[in-house]
Amino acid sequence: MDMGKVNKKLSARFGGAVRAELRDGSVVLSGKLDRWADVVEACQLAAVKYSRVHVVNDITCAEAKAQPMRLPDLRDSVLEGARPDALIIGGGISGASIARELSKWKLDILLVDKEPDLALHASGRNDGEVHPGVDLGKGSLKHRYIRRGNAMYDEVCRELDVPFRRVGQYVCFDKGWLRPFIALYCLWRRYHDGISDTRIISGAELRRREPALSRDFKFAVSNPSSGCVCPYGLTIAYGENAVQNGAKVSLDTAVLSMEVEDGEIKSVATNRGTVYPALVINAAGVFAEEVARMAGDRFYSIHPRRGTNSILDKKAGASFSSIASVMEAARTRGRSKGGGILHTVHDNLLAGPDAVETWEKENTETHPESITHVFSKQQRTMPALSQGDIITYFTGVRAPTFEEDFIIEKGRKIHNLIHCAGIQSPGLTTAPAVALDIEKMAVEELRKRGRTVERNESFNPIRKGPPVLRDLPDGERAALIRENPDYGVIVCRCEEVSRGEILDALRSPICVPTVDGVKKRVRPGMGRCQGGFCSPLVAQIIAEFLDVPLEDVKKSSSQSDITFGRTK
Amino acid sequence: MRTYDVTVIGGGPAGLAAALSAHGEGAKTLLVEREARLGGILKQCIHDGFGLVRFQEKLTGPEYAQRFILRFQQAGISCAVQTFVTRAERAGEGFDVTLVNRDGVGTIRTKTLVLATGCRERTAKQVSIHGTRPAGVFTAGTAQHFTNLLGQLPTKKCVILGSGDIGLIMARRLTLEGAQVLGVYEAKPTPSGLTRNIHQCLHDYGIPLYLSHTVTRVLGAGRLTAVEVAQVDGSMRPIPGTEEVVECDGLILSVGLIPENELAQSLGVELDPKTKGPVCDGQLMTSVDGVFSCGNALHVNDLVDYVSESGELAGRNAARYAAAPRRTVPIRPSPALLYAVPQRLDLDRDNSETALYFRSREVLDGCVLRVRADGREVFSKRYPFLRPPEIERLNVDFSRFGLHEGSEIELDIEVTEHG
Repeated sequence: MDMGKVNKKLSARFGGAVRAELRDGSVVLSGKLDRWADVVEACQLAAVKYSRVHVVNDITCAEAKAQPMRLPDLRDSVLEGARPDALIIGGGISGASIARELSKWKLDILLVDKEPDLALHASGRNDGEVHPGVDLGKGSLKHRYIRRGNAMYDEVCRELDVPFRRVGQYVCFDKGWLRPFIALYCLWRRYHDGISDTRIISGAELRRREPALSRDFKFAVSNPSSGCVCPYGLTIAYGENAVQNGAKVSLDTAVLSMEVEDGEIKSVATNRGTVYPALVINAAGVFAEEVARMAGDRFYSIHPRRGTNSILDKKAGASFSSIASVMEAARTRGRSKGGGILHTVHDNLLAGPDAVETWEKENTETHPESITHVFSKQQRTMPALSQGDIITYFTGVRAPTFEEDFIIEKGRKIHNLIHCAGIQSPGLTTAPAVALDIEKMAVEELRKRGRTVERNESFNPIRKGPPVLRDLPDGERAALIRENPDYGVIVCRCEEVSRGEILDALRSPICVPTVDGVKKRVRPGMGRCQGGFCSPLVAQIIAEFLDVPLEDVKKSSSQSDITFGRTK
Repeated sequence: MRTYDVTVIGGGPAGLAAALSAHGEGAKTLLVEREARLGGILKQCIHDGFGLVRFQEKLTGPEYAQRFILRFQQAGISCAVQTFVTRAERAGEGFDVTLVNRDGVGTIRTKTLVLATGCRERTAKQVSIHGTRPAGVFTAGTAQHFTNLLGQLPTKKCVILGSGDIGLIMARRLTLEGAQVLGVYEAKPTPSGLTRNIHQCLHDYGIPLYLSHTVTRVLGAGRLTAVEVAQVDGSMRPIPGTEEVVECDGLILSVGLIPENELAQSLGVELDPKTKGPVCDGQLMTSVDGVFSCGNALHVNDLVDYVSESGELAGRNAARYAAAPRRTVPIRPSPALLYAVPQRLDLDRDNSETALYFRSREVLDGCVLRVRADGREVFSKRYPFLRPPEIERLNVDFSRFGLHEGSEIELDIEVTEHG
């Protein structure tokens, strides 16, 4: 890479405030800028999309105050001295799926996450679309994994008992004259991506399939292989299956530092003791760069990009059954696909997400502008879309590199490290396929280190989730209630969740006995009243289950008290 | 399959009254209640002020409910508690209702249905509150549930958004429990709750009321640590530059109630966009023959006495129901009214003593309600003042107005004096 050219561009734009140099195979940017937007722009100027030569951001930025990673309160030594074969850092979709695939082998696997549950960051805060695999540059890792990942979804979700629907996706166009160009583009994509089911359909056909979509659309690209899944449900299911097959999951566990010697990670210090892993897998999402830094293997940078999604009432969900978005003429460079409308597996509508660069990796605050932006855009897709139907909204933070591609490779300087980093859209789609490759890399690396790695003969790929009574025919529902009358006591009226299902969640392989933990697993509080009626009841069931006073039950983290003890 | 003449869904004050009156008419009646105990939301309303109209007494919520529960039990009416309706659909002349409880899944058949399903509270996200998602943000009813039913203090220092009655009641309740209530913030320029509650719950305890203010943002990672408040303009949008951060550990929301009509909608019942309840005739029958509505599912009431009254009316008419084609005329409120119930009259029914409920859109002093039938004034009533939070009820004899098919009834409010 020609650093002279890069520096010329940087100097033209930032007048010498930033410089680039090639160091250990990465383009390292240093200097000083006032605004974070300029830092992102500088790094994007230096970056080559999908390149393996990564930009490392060492620019000091006045605006971006260094924010330490939020850490759990917990301090104990339950992990002290542990010697796992594989330490997976991060309990998102990447870490959980890798843990599950590795549990096919007789290995001591430890997955740690600093949060009180799995999927609390990007994996639990996205739209749940399983992407079709178009519109990605050839040669990128995204491109390499997406079709394999997409194709695996039916089987993976069947094995893990997670709802998945291949509902199809429509990219809609309001300018008819574009049709021949898009048709050519589709042909080229078919040849290039090998995707044969992509079709162009007329505006009339689009409205026959989805009457709620705008009458302004002249045609649409239809991608029938697209689907939707519950992203945190899938992550938890992967995690549970890993645990059932022998892996350990330690929540509220943050990696604090590493001891590195001769290109090897010797030990990893956490708030729950120091562990001595043979192999470390970095699946730390927005914090992957920090983990790489601790290991002395930081050859890329993550620039967080937040996005906000809104969930709409099921009544709005009834008007639309697939995934759609409007194609805009102008697209911002380097940004992931903009928002869309999606009918979720739980029959709500989802609108979003937007994409906003930020230096704050853990700031998941929502802002009214995000909602307004998404709705003004998506009302062009579906005119009847109304903010009045919103029941909740949430923000997630994506973890892209400046090259906008995944990093799935062994450490460049550290031998017992595998990076699964830069994972952003379509990371949910690719995760099942990526996990298989990381499994291979891990087994190979462990064998190289003299470790005998044998098949886990008792591996069972089937994870059975708690029964979802509202979806069962009356006869089956009655039979389950006969076995367990708690299944007949409805606690959450909006989502029709029974006491029995809540207790199932509390007895599941990864027990997270908080109101949010139960909500993520069996959905009390996910409906239109947002827990107004059921949250006190759920808290009470948890208190009884744990045999603790009600005030000890938390919403999520240890600081999230719900009540402060007895009244007068 | 068990069969009933009248099945009442919901065992709060409306449902209890409906079941009692249907039973009183000799109908074979079933009451279905989701919770383990009858009484609905009254169970947690331990303050007094209930029953002034009906009993000329100030009762607490549980006391008021208990009077009906005792009569209900003495009457020996069939009742299924801790039982949830998963489905109701037309079957023959009546309806099949699928019920789930600890005994399993069962279906009953009923000639008529009375929907007394109450209402739910509007949530933080429905009033566009942004920021983080900490613990400590409660709707007033949820905070009341924790405080009064579970004996748990939900906050030590809080801000209340919205001056709805439950919010005002909770301001006093939490103060009595030793919590600090920093203020009640109301986006509208006038309070939403009853005047008596503004006095008895805020003024008497020195709790400030900030009109034309709202909460724009919540802060805090685990538990709420502060809220951002701001003044709002005439269209209730926050005015930039007026934001102020108020430290607190709780945000209590009393920002409106929404009638629960999901079951009604599944039956094809037409809803009034203004009340968010079913469009009903003077007998409180909805647009679907044989389906009746009452209480807060019909429209949000401010007095339980009216809730009971509408339950009685719906229950009685459900018991007397006989399928027949309906000839109806609409009752159309002018924009000066927020809404009016009922929304129409059945010409073949007795309309001589129709209970008419309405709310004005704005605070008005010195005004007159005018009822016009086919353009000519047939009835009027003077009011010294009208307040949107306070519902007005009057009996109108519509039988005297010579209504016929194609007639239209209009309601209007005219201001007669100024000052």
